[in-house]
Amino acid sequence: MNSFSMTFTVNDFYLMLQGAAITFLLTIASGFFGSLLGFLIGWGRALGYTWLYYLLSIYIEVIRSVPLLIQFVLYNSFLAIAGLPIDPFVSGLITLSVYISAYVAEVVTAGIVGVPLTMIKAARGLGMSYLQSFRFVVVPIGARSVLPSWTGLMLGLMKDTSLIAVLGASPPELLRSSQIIITRIQEPLAILIGAGAFYFIMCYVINMAVQRYEKSWTSRRKVTA
Amino acid sequence: MFDYRFQWRVVFKHWPELLDAALLTMELTFLSVFLGLLIGMVMSVWRKSENKVLFWFTATWVALARNTPALLQIYLFYFGLGALGIHLSSYAAVLAAITFNNVGYLIEILRGGLDSINLAQRGAALGLGMRPWQVYVYVIFPQVLRAVFLPITNQVVWAMLGTSLGMIIGLQELTGMTTFLQSQTFRPFEFYLVAAVIYLIICEIMLMSARLIARQYFRW
Amino acid sequence: MIKIEGLRKSFGALEVLKGIDLTVNKGEVLCMIGGSGSGKSTLLMCINALEGIDFGRVEVNGIDVHAPGTDKNKLRQKIGIVFQQFNAFPHLTAWENVALAPRRVLGQSKAESRELAEYHLAHVGLGDKLDHFPSQLSGGQQQRLAIARALAMKPDYMLLDEVTSALDPELVGEVLDTLRLLAEEGITMIAVTHEIPFAREVSDRVAFFHEGVIHEIGAAKDLIENPQLPRTQKFLSKIL
Repeated sequence: MNSFSMTFTVNDFYLMLQGAAITFLLTIASGFFGSLLGFLIGWGRALGYTWLYYLLSIYIEVIRSVPLLIQFVLYNSFLAIAGLPIDPFVSGLITLSVYISAYVAEVVTAGIVGVPLTMIKAARGLGMSYLQSFRFVVVPIGARSVLPSWTGLMLGLMKDTSLIAVLGASPPELLRSSQIIITRIQEPLAILIGAGAFYFIMCYVINMAVQRYEKSWTSRRKVTA
Repeated sequence: MFDYRFQWRVVFKHWPELLDAALLTMELTFLSVFLGLLIGMVMSVWRKSENKVLFWFTATWVALARNTPALLQIYLFYFGLGALGIHLSSYAAVLAAITFNNVGYLIEILRGGLDSINLAQRGAALGLGMRPWQVYVYVIFPQVLRAVFLPITNQVVWAMLGTSLGMIIGLQELTGMTTFLQSQTFRPFEFYLVAAVIYLIICEIMLMSARLIARQYFRW
Repeated sequence: MIKIEGLRKSFGALEVLKGIDLTVNKGEVLCMIGGSGSGKSTLLMCINALEGIDFGRVEVNGIDVHAPGTDKNKLRQKIGIVFQQFNAFPHLTAWENVALAPRRVLGQSKAESRELAEYHLAHVGLGDKLDHFPSQLSGGQQQRLAIARALAMKPDYMLLDEVTSALDPELVGEVLDTLRLLAEEGITMIAVTHEIPFAREVSDRVAFFHEGVIHEIGAAKDLIENPQLPRTQKFLSKIL
C-alpha cells in the first residue's frame, strides 16, 4: 500500500474482516481451554472438601477482582522476567483462558450443586460409582441448567478479547483493527458502528439461539426433584 | 531463569500517585453505579410500560449496552462523539460509557427484582391514595434494592473493572497511572503486581461497605 | 354514598361482573357473600379504581370514579381498602407503615403522622408494637396493622376484601373484633367475607353474589335466616 488513502479502502475492509476472524479465533481458543480449566476447578469446589473449596475460591476471587488489562500485562511481564519470551498473542491467549476459567468455575459449581439430590441418590442406589453418577447423571443435567450462563460467559469473553490490544498482540483483533483504521482516516463513527454491529449481531443471535434451545428443552422434559 | 532483581522501593516511592489514582478509580466506580442506579430504576419501570416509545428505548439501550464491548462504548463516547463535535474529556467519556454500560445490566437486575415484589404491595399503596411515583419511591424500590442487593454489588465490582479501560484513552485512574509510572521506571512487573493488589484491596473495601450497608438498612 | 349502576366488567373473554346495581349509604355496613369467582373482590376494586370497568357507572360522594378527568389518587384518599393477603410494607415498622400515607400524601409532618399512627395502632390493639417490623408480627396483627393503616387516612368508606381468609383460625377472632368495633363506631363498610355469623351480627345488609350479579340482597338477619331465593338457600345451607 504505497498511497496513503484518507478513505475506507478495500484493504481496510479486509483488515476488519481479519480482525473479526481473530476475535472469533481468540474466543473459541480461550473459551475452550478456559472452560476446560474452569470445569475442573468448579468440580473441585463442588466435591465438598472445605479446604479445597476455600483454596479454589481464592483463585476465583483474585481473578475476578483484578481488571483484565492488568492481568494481561502482569502475566506478560512476568513471562518476560522469567526469561520465557512468548509471543504476546500467546500470552494474551493464556491470560484470557485463565481469566474465563474463574467465571466458568463458578457457573460449573452452581450447576453441579443444583442437580437435585434425589437424582444422585437414585444413580448411586443403582450401583453407580461416584464417577459414573457424575458422568451420566450430574453432568448432563447440570450442563443443561448452566448452558445459558455459560453462553453468556463466552459472549462476554468475545467482548473481552478486544482488550488484548494492550499487549500489542498481532495480528490485531477486531477492535484494534478498527482503531488502526480510525487513526488514519479520521472517520470513527462509521467504523465503530460497523465493529459494534459485528459484536452485537454475534451476541444477539447466539443469545436468541440459546433461549430457543432452552425453551424447547424445558417443554420437552422437566427435571423435577 | 530468574535473572531479575525485583525493585520494590521504586514502587513505594510513588505511593502518593498510586493512592490518588486508586481514589479516582473508586470515585468513578461509585459515581457510575450511583448514576446507573438512578437511571436504571426509572428505566426499569419503563421496561414494563405500555408506552411503546419508552419500552423500545429501554430495550434498545439494554441490548446495545450488553452486546457490545465496554471498550467499544468508551471509544464511541470519546472518538465517536468527537467526530460529531462533542469533545469529552477522558474522565467524562469513561464515566459516560461505564454508566451507560451499568444501566444496561442494572435494568435487567432491577427488572428481576420488580417482578419478585408482590403485586399487591402496589395495590395496597395505591389504595392509600399514594400517587404512582410515590408508590415506587417509598414502597416498591426499597424492597427491590434489598432483593437484588447481591447482583448489584456484583455490578459494582464489574464497574470497577470497567474503569481500568480508561487507561486506553489516557485517563490516569489506577491502571493508567500504573502504566505511566512503569513506563518511566521500566519496572512493569513490580508496578502491575502492586496495582493488582490495590485492586484487590479496593474490591474488599467495597464488598465490606456493601455488607455494612445491608446490615444497617436491610434489617427487616 | 356509593352508587353503582349497571356495572359490567370482563377480564379478556371472561365476563366477571354482569350488571351490578348497588347503593351503599353513609354509616351502612354491607357484607357481600358468595362463592369464589363470583366477582366480589373485583367489584371492590372497581369502586376505588384499582380496576377499570367496561360498562356502567360507579359514583362515590357524587364523583364518577371512572370518568377520564377524575383524580383517582385523591379519590382513594377517601376510600380505605384492606386485602386478603396482608400487604404490610415489610421494610417499614408498624408505625411507619401507618404514618407513610398521611405524611407523603396528606402532607402531615413527621411528628403529626407519628402521633396519628400511635393513635390508630392503639385503636386496633397494637399499641405496644409500634417499632416492630411486619416480619415480627403474626398474621392477625399484620392484618390489624393494614386496617389501622387504611383508617389513618380518615376515609369515608372502608372496603374489606376477605380480610380473614388467609389467617389461621385462632387469629380470625381478633380481626373480626376490630371490624366489629369499627362498625359500632359508625364507619361505612363494604366487606367481602365468608364469615357468615359475623355478617349476620354486624352488618345492616347482606348481598349474595352469584355468577357476576347480586342474586339477592336484604337486611342481614333476614337474608341469612330466611333466604328467599333457592340458590341463596343452597349456598347458605352448605356453609351453615
